[in-house]
Amino acid sequence: MTEADTCTTEDSLSRALAGESAAFTALVRKHQCLVYSLGLRMLSDRHKAEDLAQDVFLQLHRSLASIESAAHLSFWLRKVTINRAIDRLRREPRYEALLLQEGVYLGSDASDDDPLLQRRLRDLVGRLPPAPRAVVLLRYQEDLDPTEIARSLSMPINTVKSHLKRSLAILRPAAARPAQLRNLTLPLARNGQ
Amino acid sequence: MTNNLDDELHRALRAVDPGEEFTLRVTERIAQQPMHSRYSVPPAYRWLSVAVLTGIVLAALIAHDQRLRHEQQGLEARRQLIEALRVTGEKLDLAYRVVNDDAHPASGENSGA
Repeated sequence: MTEADTCTTEDSLSRALAGESAAFTALVRKHQCLVYSLGLRMLSDRHKAEDLAQDVFLQLHRSLASIESAAHLSFWLRKVTINRAIDRLRREPRYEALLLQEGVYLGSDASDDDPLLQRRLRDLVGRLPPAPRAVVLLRYQEDLDPTEIARSLSMPINTVKSHLKRSLAILRPAAARPAQLRNLTLPLARNGQ
Repeated sequence: MTNNLDDELHRALRAVDPGEEFTLRVTERIAQQPMHSRYSVPPAYRWLSVAVLTGIVLAALIAHDQRLRHEQQGLEARRQLIEALRVTGEKLDLAYRVVNDDAHPASGENSGA
């Protein structure tokens, strides 16, 4: 977030607190990507993600007085979105680990932007258990470092690092050559945790 | 390999904009909310109002207690005054009888002679 963005958000925040609905709409517009995308990647469903994102913004509207700054707003939105998503996932039926098709290479050989590979990676991230999934999303979608992730998820930093390491070990074969893909399973997804 | 995976993950997990319609739906839902719940009172003001209310209730209780005590003191003073008047009345009555008896001592003797 640039300094100008921060100023704009601070301004919108104070005007929204004063009751100006247009300022709150500006806040929604500015942060809807963050909230919706986290919801989408956590829940792997557009409708559920939209529903979740709306609930988060309604909660923000009620809790606006407790938001202290633009940085606090982003922190609050990430935390509330992830917590709500994890709550929803806990209420849903558990899912089993899937066996990737043997010998199918999901990426192309030499490309910087490979839609098939990206889709497969998103799919795999969506099959990680909720906590490691949240860690991976905050790391790669929100570009947070492990310390910030630990703070956002109220999790020890070593747990964050361990989730990242294990998740990357699971995701790595998806970007690998066909020979490395044989009999790949996703053991973490079995217990929903 | 790690950098490649990092880059691919960054690309794969790029943020998605839900669009302007999403913004409209959020603002519509907020508009449907009752007015009183739209903007909550800041926590500091909430504590202040709780403190003021507690203070008012305590002051009312203390005032009520003082009034009761004052009333009881008044009743006690009244009881003591009545008692004092009763004792004074008895003493005056006794004194009256003594004076009256002293004023007519002979009447009894004369009548006896």
